[in-house]
Amino acid sequence: MRTCPYCAHDNREGVLFCEECGHPFVGEREVLATSKLIDADQANFQGRVTWGTARFDRGSSIVIHVRDHETPVVLEAKDEILVGRSDTNTGLLPDLDLGSYGGAEQGVSRRHAFIRRGEDTLTLVDLGSTNGTHLNGQRLIPNQPRVLRDGDEIRLGKLALHIFFK
Amino acid sequence: MDASRNLYAILGIPPEATQEDIREAYRVAARRFHPDANPNEGADIQFRDIAAAYEILGNSRQRVRYDTSRRKYRDEPNYFTLRVTPSKRVLNALDEPQVIYLLLEIVPMRHDTQQQTKEARLNLVLVLDRSTSMKGMRLDKVKIAGRQIIEQLSPDDVLSVVSFSDRADVLIPSAPVTDKAGLRTMVSMMRADGGTEIYHGLKAGVDQCRRYLGPRLVNHVILLTDGRTFGDEDQCLELADKANKEGIGISAMGIGEEWNDAFLDSLASRTGGASAYINSPAAVVGFLNDRVRSLGSAFGERMRLSTAPDADVSLESVFKLQPSPQPVEISPQPIPIGSLEFSRPISVLLQMQMPPSARTGFRTVARLDVTGDILGIERQGYKVLSDISVEIARDPTPEEPPMAILDALGKLTLYRMQQKAEAAATSGNVVEATRRLENLATRLLAAGQEDLAQMAIVEARRVSKTHMLSEEGRKTLKFGTRRLLALPEPGAED
Repeated sequence: MRTCPYCAHDNREGVLFCEECGHPFVGEREVLATSKLIDADQANFQGRVTWGTARFDRGSSIVIHVRDHETPVVLEAKDEILVGRSDTNTGLLPDLDLGSYGGAEQGVSRRHAFIRRGEDTLTLVDLGSTNGTHLNGQRLIPNQPRVLRDGDEIRLGKLALHIFFK
Repeated sequence: MDASRNLYAILGIPPEATQEDIREAYRVAARRFHPDANPNEGADIQFRDIAAAYEILGNSRQRVRYDTSRRKYRDEPNYFTLRVTPSKRVLNALDEPQVIYLLLEIVPMRHDTQQQTKEARLNLVLVLDRSTSMKGMRLDKVKIAGRQIIEQLSPDDVLSVVSFSDRADVLIPSAPVTDKAGLRTMVSMMRADGGTEIYHGLKAGVDQCRRYLGPRLVNHVILLTDGRTFGDEDQCLELADKANKEGIGISAMGIGEEWNDAFLDSLASRTGGASAYINSPAAVVGFLNDRVRSLGSAFGERMRLSTAPDADVSLESVFKLQPSPQPVEISPQPIPIGSLEFSRPISVLLQMQMPPSARTGFRTVARLDVTGDILGIERQGYKVLSDISVEIARDPTPEEPPMAILDALGKLTLYRMQQKAEAAATSGNVVEATRRLENLATRLLAAGQEDLAQMAIVEARRVSKTHMLSEEGRKTLKFGTRRLLALPEPGAED
């Protein structure tokens, strides 16, 4: 429950503007109901998960934070990055190998997804993986590419990671 | 066998799935959407699809036949995709219900093989009010708008014009737009006379639209009125439901203060059309032209959204933000959402309530399903569906809601506040109506909307004195706050 500091109305959790008086609840600060008043820097302050741009410049690199692991993985961008887990039997070694992050237990397929580089965007494609790929909670349809944004949450099976552009 | 649907996607499995995978996928899906397990409206629609998909894929012989007929669709491009952004990706595990918002964008995917420059072909009917009250400026502007629309159309388009008062006249019967000069003259001959009975006009308009009704056309009736119709509103709404089933959309525009906005909203909402308030006669021309232009840039038509929340989740509201802000009735499903333009996504904001939850981990929230006819090629009932899930965790990292949701919701809140104030005034609750209008004025000021804020203050005073809102004030606030929701033109992103 969230009590409005302005009118004392009790709102349900998750409500972003008081349902009684329209007072905004976002963060600890007040956000006005118009986007031009919120500048991008402010919305990107540290310690919070943010929603960023879809633009991926040539020469940028990709930073992957796997949930519950301190050290990020930095990947050089190339046209196609295979995400999965390595298989010693076949000698398959994906560009982003999640085997060492408990990928097998979390349901990551050997060939799970591709991150592809386009003109000035990155796209994510599920390769028909057994346990599916989710982008910000939305399950991807196999072989249908989706544009990635800076800060997006990707889930492969039950393994969650965040992708950042650098 | 109809192989136009991707049955594997309906069961959420890859085409290489084994029979065991298929059975398991069916069991999981049935547990989510079977009407005995899930009372939500929309769940039954998904379950029917799931059961039909399983009937074929679960039988190896039928599956082989399906796979064979499906081959011709294997290289079918995606005509549109769904992009869903939740207000939160990780929810706190709480022993109380919580609200989650989903911003759904239906994004057209253009392909080189399609003629992109070609505009959609229209099967358009204008149903124009010519009651006595339209006399003068109003009718003059309507005629100008009519003539300009004729100018916009091409011989590939079909047009009819119906004028009505207490009876309907088919001024121009449905026909391809070839003799523009002749048509313009017909429009100029309209004379104002008589009362307003919308049903007659609407019925004649829908009948005209039916004459050229086709899956490759945008079949649309635009109603323009300045009056209130008496006793035939239910008939009109019934007709709208019928028109929707046949693939005809209805847009409704009201001029002045007399007309019933809730009624026109409902006409539009039932058919995926748009409704608007035109406060000055001069604005008629721009409004009608814009509407026709928007219809003409349709890429997909007869778009329908079906939402199936999980059994313990409930859908509370749906609001269409783009191409034009429009409240949408959540029942019956599927919900008509109009046409998908070439260059602009349709965006829709959904509000759902999640149940109290002590269990942590990933869970599904809802399945969203959008179908539509792709114009320009013969592809009807193209379907994309998407499963949405969130993670439930204990004290997750605080998450800033996405800007697009904050922005839309901030404005939608203003519209809702106005709606609540209006409801309070209608039920005679003067104190509440006054308070709500004052709150609205505060918020409008904070959002930099000084004129609307001023209007809210004036109406708050009026309510406290006369116990009623003025029609003009009420409509200005309603459609003014609704118009705030119009998104800026698409930017560089995406």
